[in-house]
This record gives sequence, C-alpha cells and structure tokens, in this order.
Amino acid sequence: MAKHLLERLLGPVTLALLALTFWFGLWVTPPDKVQGNLARLVYVHPSVAWVALYVSFGTATIASVLYLWTRTRSMVMDRVAHCAMELSVLFIVLTLITGSIWGRPTWGVWWAWDARLTSTAILGVLALGYLALRRANDDPALRARRSAVFAILAAINVPIIHFSVDWWKTLHQGATVFGEGRHLKIHGLMAGTLLISFVGFTLLFFWLLRARYRLEVQREALTTATLDDALATRRREGAMQ
Amino acid sequence: MSSAERPLDLTPVAPPRSSSRSRWRSIGVLTVLGLAIIALLSQGLLHSLNYFETVNQVLAKRASFGTEVMRLEGVVKPGTIERTSNGASFTLEGSGTNQVHVDAHGSPPQLFQANIPVVVVGHFTTRTSLDFDGTQILVKHTASYIAAHPKRVKAPNGSTR
Repeated sequence: MAKHLLERLLGPVTLALLALTFWFGLWVTPPDKVQGNLARLVYVHPSVAWVALYVSFGTATIASVLYLWTRTRSMVMDRVAHCAMELSVLFIVLTLITGSIWGRPTWGVWWAWDARLTSTAILGVLALGYLALRRANDDPALRARRSAVFAILAAINVPIIHFSVDWWKTLHQGATVFGEGRHLKIHGLMAGTLLISFVGFTLLFFWLLRARYRLEVQREALTTATLDDALATRRREGAMQ
Repeated sequence: MSSAERPLDLTPVAPPRSSSRSRWRSIGVLTVLGLAIIALLSQGLLHSLNYFETVNQVLAKRASFGTEVMRLEGVVKPGTIERTSNGASFTLEGSGTNQVHVDAHGSPPQLFQANIPVVVVGHFTTRTSLDFDGTQILVKHTASYIAAHPKRVKAPNGSTR
C-alpha cells in the first residue's frame, strides 16, 4: 500500500520540486555578487552532474556488483544496471552541455582540457562503451557478466573526477557547496534552492529509471512472446509434414 | 513411422557457446573505446594534468620557463586594468610581491574585473622579463555564491528579508 502510494507520488513530487527549483532559481533568488545572473546555472549544472556521476553511475555500479555476487545474482540487477547506465549517459551529456553554456560567458571558452572536464568526458565515453558492449553480446548471461565487470572498472573514474579539482590545478571551480573545513560557501536562499534542485533531479532520475525499467521488462516479454509464437508456428509446421 | 507420426524432439539443449562473431564484435567495441579514451587522455590529462602555472610557481623558477607558451594564473590587481586598442593590460598578482605585467590581445570574458583570478594563455616577451604577452584570458571564478543585494531578497510570500 505504502509502496504503491510512493510510486504514484514520485512523478508529481518530482515535477513539483523541479518547478519550484526553476521558479526560485529564476525569480526568487538574488543574483550573485560576482557572476550576476549567470550564477543561476548553479541550480541546474551541479545537480545534473550529481545525478550523472554519483546517483546514476553509482546505481549502475552497485547493481553490477550485486549481479556478480552469486547470492544476489539475478537479471533484475542486470536490468537495473543497464537502465541506470543509459540514464547516466543522458545526464553526463546534460552536464557537459550545461557546463559549456556556463563556461562560455564566465571563463570565456566553451571547453577547456582541464582534469575535471576531460575526466567527465572520459566517463561519458565509458558509459557509451558499456552500452555498446551490451549490444555486442547475444547471450544474456555472458552479456550481463561482461558488462557488470566493465561497469565496475569504469567506476574507478568517478573518484578521479570528484577529486580532480583537489589533485590538480583546474580551470573548473572547486567543491561548490562545501570547501575545506565544511564551510558553507553559498548564501541562505541560494543554498535552499540548490538543495531543492538536488532532491528534484535525484527524484527525476528514479522516476525515469522506474519508467525505463518497466519498458525493458515489457521489451523482454515481447521478445519472449515473439519467440514462443515462432516456436509454436514451427511445431505446427513440423506436425503437418 | 512416417514423419507426421514421429514426435518432435523438444528436449532442452545446452545453449551454444559464444560465437566467434560475438567475440570479435566485443573486441571491436573495446578497441574503439580504448582508442577514444587514449585520445582524450593524451589531449586533456597527460598534456596538462595541471591546467596552469601560478604566478608564484613561475617566478620561483623564472629561468626554466623562458619564453615558452604557457597558461599563467594569478589575481588581477585592482587599479591596473587598462583597455587597449586590441585588448587589455593589467597586473597579475601572486602572493607577497610576486607580480607579472600582462598585455593581452582579444576581448576579455564578461566576468573579467579587478580582484578576480584569471588564467592567461601566452608567453613572456623575453627570457628574463616579467612582461607577459597574452593571447587569451580565461576567468577562473571561485565557488562562493554571495547575494549581490542581500537586503533586497524577496521571500516566496513577498516579504523582504
């Protein structure tokens, strides 16, 4: 009952939080002292990057680990990993696009080959590679095993992206909300709006994941039904000979 | 027994081993992926793990940098910005008395202003001078977000804080 209610509320709550983010971000919060209205992209870009790197890629990695662990192995985990990785590609692309849109007026360039941007682009290529690898294998068990191993290896890049702004000198700014010593570096209403945006985009991911998972289950059921129909037809043909 | 009377053999059989075609496709995908990552690494990370050198670092080893093209980072010293016919000139500050005079070509980014960290692409005019000839200015803004007019912030209910 509670699960059903949560599922029904997920979509409306997500939309409400995203609407609130855009309303607060565009009209209620003040402009930034240095960046002016350009700083309003802070309510979109970091949240999208959070979902791309940690939530979606993290979900895909955890599901891959659970698939490889024999006690929790099931095709459900493989499906979750696959669907989460597809969404990760979407959110990585959105991260790079919103970052470019922000970078052009602030830095003065659309793109810079610094450690943060380059390692994020590499993660995008790895996520695409994961999806390509899945299409290259026909055997479901083999495909699931190979792609799970690949996802776990690719996840090594996530901490590299996270710490790149600390390990190397980058054009990209450091940690947005908390710097050294956990001091809040963003003011009241702006911080509140940023929090709403993080929750909103995280829920958006789970909403999309749920929809994509259902679609995948239906696609597999359709494939099985088509195969069953073909077998039945073949049996009928064999019986008539 | 005729073929019509003979029952079909529907005994489950073991799935066939992975075909060589599937294996080659996997190898192909991984090869393309590996090449893409190598290209990105060589372009972005291996050539410039550190995107820039700071004014302090450069002045500490001034001779070793000579007139090579580099990215120089520092803070724009207040009161030194002058708009020139082909760009802007200003002084980049490091810590203490470390300073480099920059003569940059091209229009600076929208956020370019005094007291902001910038990265200038260019080179020193001679092997020993502290005059830097810049071809591009990149603004390296901080991660702090401070309201421009904190006293005029309106709450959702319309009240002013």
